[in-house]
Amino acid sequence: MKMKRSLMLLISLCFAASLALSGCGSDNKSAGETGGGSAGTEPKTEEAQKAEPFELTLRHTQVGQDKEKRFAILQDVVKKTEGEIEGLTFKLDGVESDVNRKEKLRGEMAAGNPPDIFDLFGSPDSKVYAKEGKLLDLTPIIEELGIKDKFSSLEPFTYEGKVYGLPIGGSGEGFFYNKEYYDKKGWAPPKTFAELEEQLAAIKADGKVPMAAASKAGWVPLMLTNHLWSRYAGPDITNKFATGEAKWNDPNMVKAFAKHKEWVDKGYFKKGELGFEYAEYTTQFTSGEAILMYDGTWKSSVFKQGESGAGMIGKVGFFNLPPVDGGVGDQTALMRDVNNGYGFSSAVAKDPRKLEAVKVFIKNMFNEEMQIRGLVEDGVLPAMKLDASVLESSITDDLMKQIVDVLNSAQSSFPAFDSLVQADVTTEISNIQIQKLIGNQTTSEKMGEALQKAQEEANSLEE
Amino acid sequence: MNKALKNPALYVLFILPCLILFAMFFLYPIVSSIRYSLTSWNGVSSDPKFIGFDNFVKALTEKRFWTAVRNNGYFILFSCGIQVPLIVFFSLLIAHVKKLKGLYKTAVFLPSIMSTAVIGILWGFIYEPNIGLLNNILKVFGIEPLYWLSDEKYAMLSILITNAWQWTGFYIVMVLAAIISIPRELDEAAAIDGATAVQRAFSITLPLIKPIISVVIMLSIAGAMKAADIVIVMTKGGPAGSTDVMATYMIKYAITNFKYGYGNSISVLIFVFTLILTALYLLLIARRSERIEY
Repeated sequence: MKMKRSLMLLISLCFAASLALSGCGSDNKSAGETGGGSAGTEPKTEEAQKAEPFELTLRHTQVGQDKEKRFAILQDVVKKTEGEIEGLTFKLDGVESDVNRKEKLRGEMAAGNPPDIFDLFGSPDSKVYAKEGKLLDLTPIIEELGIKDKFSSLEPFTYEGKVYGLPIGGSGEGFFYNKEYYDKKGWAPPKTFAELEEQLAAIKADGKVPMAAASKAGWVPLMLTNHLWSRYAGPDITNKFATGEAKWNDPNMVKAFAKHKEWVDKGYFKKGELGFEYAEYTTQFTSGEAILMYDGTWKSSVFKQGESGAGMIGKVGFFNLPPVDGGVGDQTALMRDVNNGYGFSSAVAKDPRKLEAVKVFIKNMFNEEMQIRGLVEDGVLPAMKLDASVLESSITDDLMKQIVDVLNSAQSSFPAFDSLVQADVTTEISNIQIQKLIGNQTTSEKMGEALQKAQEEANSLEE
Repeated sequence: MNKALKNPALYVLFILPCLILFAMFFLYPIVSSIRYSLTSWNGVSSDPKFIGFDNFVKALTEKRFWTAVRNNGYFILFSCGIQVPLIVFFSLLIAHVKKLKGLYKTAVFLPSIMSTAVIGILWGFIYEPNIGLLNNILKVFGIEPLYWLSDEKYAMLSILITNAWQWTGFYIVMVLAAIISIPRELDEAAAIDGATAVQRAFSITLPLIKPIISVVIMLSIAGAMKAADIVIVMTKGGPAGSTDVMATYMIKYAITNFKYGYGNSISVLIFVFTLILTALYLLLIARRSERIEY
């Protein structure tokens, strides 16, 4: 009996081992076939090899109701690409944008197993990955497809003259305002800073929340702080921190921080903001509780039929932060960049079929039609140069028209601070300093000094 | 067959699969973590730069790291000082309940099978300043709304309460099993001798379940040292880093900043601290509780 049992055990072990080995075996076989295909085997096997299924993993950040439209566009591109390449299936993996950028993708890059295609942040992320050879060089592909000169800027994704990522759309930042409320008050979008502050005070006195706020993640309040310091200290000052030409504790920077704090102290933001998620930011505005919301132009997609802000269609406007008296530099400048897009794993180049699939994906994703769809359906500004007449005829939405007007009337623009300073400094300002400022645990002067200290440390590490 | 079992090579063969798995998933990660903790490495490049103990010096002299250590300390204090007595109290109550014992057991166990993400969101609603349950209750007593998760004063406490709520049920079920396994005669004999319920609980049940309480405490300590998910879901370590624990500190300052060398040194520190704490606990306290023999 004992003997029998051990024999059974041995047999089952052999069975398990052979199963495992056969699993490895089939894998080797397919890899071998892929390699052998180009060596000129019989046409029959070549056909069979072409039809052999293979998979591309695609990490996107289109999760949640507000990104449904963008997700639909991506799905169409995926379907079209699958139709054009025999045997190809995409495996979609949706991850929240900030988590993908700051945790997941970084971990995967470190472990050496990023997805084949992934949502990628231009500067500074793509440069770090490109430097280490983790990203696929797209220069030959976009040259072959003839789209190299079609993008308004590829700078954030360029490293040593080569392109490692393609921006999906552009964005700008400014104030969304409740038009109905403004009309009722007989107001127009503020032309001067004093006028804006008068309006904020009046809204507060009216028992409403002047500005939506959700600062659990520091980048949300920092959109406005970034604009404030670009008014007070100049739109190009952020460029100069990493080179040491300018300092975070510059008196004009401190003035900007002080202004943000003054607005917090006066109760112009939704109270308890440090505990709210970004999703609640939009809700505060769409529910009519907050009258203004400082956010990126991507938010306009919410004010479309079937989306969470559908009830406010036609009742939302957009304006630029008014000029500050005594401010430095261009007082019409606003944040505008093309920093978000797709990157591809350098491992793709090892498999000719995957490389071909990537090429077709790029062809289907980065073209005029998709850019217009992004603009019309999702409110994302095009990252590619489009014909002015085509652009004009495709914008029918009032809010989008107003956004484009505001962007066009700005004489210059600046990139968001986190694409210009080192990751250490971004962590310091967004996880600590801005929350301290809002939570009344620091002063604007101390904040400037702490940031400058972090900046100097980061600069010294780079030398 | 018997001959075969006398062959030492066969034993080696049998333990080999386990040994390989152990080496692959336990020894190798620890060794490589220690190796990388001595380097300056962005996590992506192929040549980490050896910098000796600089990472450890940096962590140990960083005020924010100690804030995180302190918060881990709060986790331990809260779970050992408040949670464990509650666990014992509720276990005693449930053990002596006559009706619906199964329902109580299931009800207290429920939170521990839910994912932390769900619990974080659930309690996020309870702590919500405007419409949350807690502030609504406070309003009845005329107390101004408190900003539970956004005020530095209450944020850590809010997390601790949620964490305790999540795990109490799990430990209650463990302690309950121990109580139920105590021979009934002991309790009955004491009752016949005229001992009150409180006396029986303190003099009979508690001493007999000491070993399991000791295990609960040790698991709480280990759990407290590696806490991260609940903090990430509820506050992301904020406001302004005031609720960061060691693990979230590691994510924030290492992974998001392309500093994997530094991150590895933090992970080594967490490992060492946990090792020291549990070893101390075992040596000083758990050893003393004698074996129970009925």
